[in-house]
Amino acid sequence: MSENNCGCSKNPYLPEVATVLDVITESPTIKSFRVRFDNEEAWQNFSHEPGQVGQLSVFGVGESTFVINTPPSSKAENGYIQFSVMRAGEVTTAIHKLRPGDKVGVRAPLGNFFPYEQWKGKSVFFVGGGIGMAPIRTIMLHLMEHAGDYGQLSLLYGSKSPEDMAYKADLPGWLDSKVLKTTLTIDREAPNWPHRVGLIPNVLKELNPSPDDCIAVLCGPPIMIKFTLAAFRELGFKDENIVTTLERRMKCGIGICGRCNLGSKYVCLDGPVFTQAQLNDLPPEM
Amino acid sequence: MSSLLFATPKELTGWLAKLAAGHRVLAPRQEGPAVVFRPQTAEQLAAADAEALLKRSTSSPKQAMLPQSETLVQFTSVKDAEDPSKLTTTLTVPEAAEPTVLFGCRPCDARGFVVLDRPYLEGPLKDPYYGARREATVIVTQACPKAFSTCFCNWVGSNPADSEGSDILFTVVDGGYALEAVTEKGAALLEGAGFAPADDKRQAVEEAHTAAAQGLAPSPDLAGAPAKIARRFTDEAFWTKETVKCLSCGACTYLCPTCQCFTITDEGSQLNGRRLRSWDSCMTPLFTLETSGHNSRAAKSARMRNRVSHKFSFYPERYSGYFSCVGCGRCVVSCPVSLDIRHMVTAAIEGIEAEAKPAATEAAPQPEAEAGKDKNAKGKPKKR
Amino acid sequence: MSVLKGKELRIVGFLCNWCSYGGADTAGTARATQPTDLRIIRVPCSGRVNPLFVLKALMNGADGVLVSGCHPRDCHYSAGNFYARRRLELLKEFLPVIGIDPRRFEYTWVSASEGPRWKSVVTNFTARVHELGPAPKWEDVPARYDMPEDLVNPIRPLGCGAHPSLPELKEAIKAALADGLEGVLGWKQGFDAIHAEPVFMTTPEEVDSLIWGPFNVQNLAVQLPLYKGRKIGVVVKGCDSKGVVELMAEELISRDDVKIFGMGCNGTVNVSRILAKLPEGARIDGCTCKGSKITVLSGGESYEMTMNEVAQDKCRICTKPNAVLSDVFCGTPTTEPEEPEDGRSPALRFLDSLSLEERMGFWKGQMERCIACHACRGACPMCVCRDHCVSDSRNPEWVTQEDTVQQKLFFQLIHAQHLAGRCTGCYECERACPMDIPVFALKQQFGRTIKKIFSYGAGLDPKGTPPLLTYKVDEPTIKEHDLA
Repeated sequence: MSENNCGCSKNPYLPEVATVLDVITESPTIKSFRVRFDNEEAWQNFSHEPGQVGQLSVFGVGESTFVINTPPSSKAENGYIQFSVMRAGEVTTAIHKLRPGDKVGVRAPLGNFFPYEQWKGKSVFFVGGGIGMAPIRTIMLHLMEHAGDYGQLSLLYGSKSPEDMAYKADLPGWLDSKVLKTTLTIDREAPNWPHRVGLIPNVLKELNPSPDDCIAVLCGPPIMIKFTLAAFRELGFKDENIVTTLERRMKCGIGICGRCNLGSKYVCLDGPVFTQAQLNDLPPEM
Repeated sequence: MSSLLFATPKELTGWLAKLAAGHRVLAPRQEGPAVVFRPQTAEQLAAADAEALLKRSTSSPKQAMLPQSETLVQFTSVKDAEDPSKLTTTLTVPEAAEPTVLFGCRPCDARGFVVLDRPYLEGPLKDPYYGARREATVIVTQACPKAFSTCFCNWVGSNPADSEGSDILFTVVDGGYALEAVTEKGAALLEGAGFAPADDKRQAVEEAHTAAAQGLAPSPDLAGAPAKIARRFTDEAFWTKETVKCLSCGACTYLCPTCQCFTITDEGSQLNGRRLRSWDSCMTPLFTLETSGHNSRAAKSARMRNRVSHKFSFYPERYSGYFSCVGCGRCVVSCPVSLDIRHMVTAAIEGIEAEAKPAATEAAPQPEAEAGKDKNAKGKPKKR
Repeated sequence: MSVLKGKELRIVGFLCNWCSYGGADTAGTARATQPTDLRIIRVPCSGRVNPLFVLKALMNGADGVLVSGCHPRDCHYSAGNFYARRRLELLKEFLPVIGIDPRRFEYTWVSASEGPRWKSVVTNFTARVHELGPAPKWEDVPARYDMPEDLVNPIRPLGCGAHPSLPELKEAIKAALADGLEGVLGWKQGFDAIHAEPVFMTTPEEVDSLIWGPFNVQNLAVQLPLYKGRKIGVVVKGCDSKGVVELMAEELISRDDVKIFGMGCNGTVNVSRILAKLPEGARIDGCTCKGSKITVLSGGESYEMTMNEVAQDKCRICTKPNAVLSDVFCGTPTTEPEEPEDGRSPALRFLDSLSLEERMGFWKGQMERCIACHACRGACPMCVCRDHCVSDSRNPEWVTQEDTVQQKLFFQLIHAQHLAGRCTGCYECERACPMDIPVFALKQQFGRTIKKIFSYGAGLDPKGTPPLLTYKVDEPTIKEHDLA
């Protein structure tokens, strides 16, 4: 275990050194990384809730925030936690170069999580757009494991094109699942695409889910959130039943460094999961 | 109330020189036209003119607890002899904080640390680096002999002799200084200093405090300011007009004793590198720029809105009504275009009714304001 | 780093791929014996050598830096080495101001066929660096904090009285606003009587708040690029107008978009100098200006001072008190004095009096207190990269986040280097510095060299070209540095 001279029980800035066990190429720009802490005691003590995030770092390059996109059961069952990373900037480019066996730093878990206990007995409608599917995957897999506690689980997952669709290995299982109704859509027509074509908000309106006893969980790029939110409202969903998970630039992850605040709330500490009703009370600074 | 002690200028510098044997002693030092807190050696302190150690610093003493840049984690890696592509990475955390005496703060500076304590130490996860330095530091504060024209500590519920955040408070009196321990930590530091009891100076001290407080211009009514400023948030025309001259240079934030923002960056490589935490400024557009190109505060008006709101609305909302501005006026003094936060705050609350939202702030008490009014509150050891 | 522990020095060589790199190859193939201190970095052209490469190497412990390119007229890309010659000559003249011996840096020309010439270049340069010995290290140099506060005698009478043509100027601005100008940048009184603040005047009432006088310190040219494409006006002092002109010369703003209002300037104050005349922290209750006398009222007392005592350093040596370019000029122009014999800032004058090592110590002492706020950059009218400053980049990473003197000084070197031939000498970097670091001296070091070599002053001609953006095939004022 790394030395900790700070005289405090836990140093929130000190990452756990972890080993990359596996790298899955999900799409031309998205890869998933399965990692496990090197320190066995730290690994045994680790637990997380669906929706919580972690700071994944390549030493010498820097840290970036990603959602832990395996459900809590994955640690025990598979012996790893997973992060899905879209290549965009300096850190994500360095992460994309990682191979199995490479060392990374992980600070996790950080932030709040989906209030799934409160959803028991209700239906849940998931909407994921692009890389926004990463956090949806965590909570969805978790609820599928406990499907008996919930009403109908549904997924609407959209991406630009078939190639951009991540989690291809999971898709057949989701489409065939007895506990999940899955709808896939892409933005524009593509050859040999057997599923829907159309933007998420439009497909959502066609699917016409009932707002009664149903929680909407959505994540995706800002423009998709904006119109999907409008669509859910149009369908009669109340803002307190629409749940989203925000992404903002973060450094510390513990509510100090000052970047991710929305008014008096820090996305890293008080979020990233918010209901639309909570967001309505915060300053409109997206 | 603990007792007053009296020190002549020579005794004061002698005491500091003695303290330098076991502490890092940070005290104001004139460098060119600027005054900055610097570690000073026993020899320097023994030879110092006490007056020179009493100047008000140009930059805040925030650096005593939060250096401009510090190493959070050092990493080194060793290549595997069989397979050089495999690395074993070891992380080390720098040495714990050294015992420090921070001498010559002003009351606003010392209160700045109380403001920083809330986010740094009172969240679910404490900042161990700040915490260790805070723990290892004794703060010796000079009650302001007079208010500067840019001082407005009375706006934020304080006064030029406020002891909040200090461990020892001293006041300039005839022929020397009257010192008083505020906390047990301060009392311990004064033990064995050999200063004479000086309870006869009590009246002179009170008079000096009163005179300094009278030098401050009256404060506007800031009751309800957090809610009012929150309601001003969406008035984009207001913020645009107020910030038209702003250069987004960030000098205000780096001089501020309570600006808490930082960045974390890696330097070096995995083989031998460090993860640094350095001051950062919410006034620069890069602060919130995301890789995608999206920037939630792309306009300088949005950044200034965040800064003013943070100090007078968001922070009070989060931390039971306390403002996060201590009224030191450094941002006013040093702004290249003379932007004045006092003006922005009064203009923002003018003509706005504090109602409804946010409810939490409305109900919150203003403990600072009370502490400031209550003279007896001084001298009581305060909990961090 | 050095394998031979002191026997070898660290010399970095930037060699053009098309000639000198080949020359070194030729020398090697011919088995010419040469010293091995040089670490060669191959570059596509000597024109690719950003002077910051050289500065970074020297700031980080290189004992010498050699740049070698194709002979003038032989550039593979026609003109790369012509540009390089100008940049590198300037750089060589710049180095002493930060305490680096200019002999530690050299640039020369070697073609691919000149194996023997390469051999003698590398041998001679290495010998020269060995003679100088290892470069002094920033860590080892004692920091010094002294700087005499001598005031330069003004080269023209400075005044602070009310300008008789201010009403006329206000009328002109009101007329221009009525005529469709979106707004006009000017000054109004700030939070007290000795501080002015910029104002963007859009209404007649705002125009009435316009002030003109010794407190109008800010250079409003800095704001102009933010209004690019909009029709606005700006009120300028002579020095500010140079910033406006330089922005036009570089096509960063359009002449057609900006209406320039000017009046003769009689000097502005350094507010710190006024405050130094008052008791510490004094409240300013009022201020009257008459002739060249400023009377500040504070706490029932009045404090008198003259412009000669409190004027900014730049005003003391100013030869352009009137706008060099204006659309509306009100009142009589101020008499323009002759070029002063000694136009150095006090810091540059002091630096000139120090030894090289003392200069390092000077900058070490000054930069130690830098808080890296970059107000110098924010206030600079020619820092037009704004949100895209190279110093903020991680790739290339010119400066790290470390708060060492070298890192903080390197930022200043970037600023000065990027202003070479563009800086109009407005002093705003230094005025804006909250820690009062004399950063202008670095820009002035470039400025005086440019004047010496290229007889050029920035901001005087809206059609002018900064000397580093052009070249001459024959440079009569640059003497060849022959190492062979």
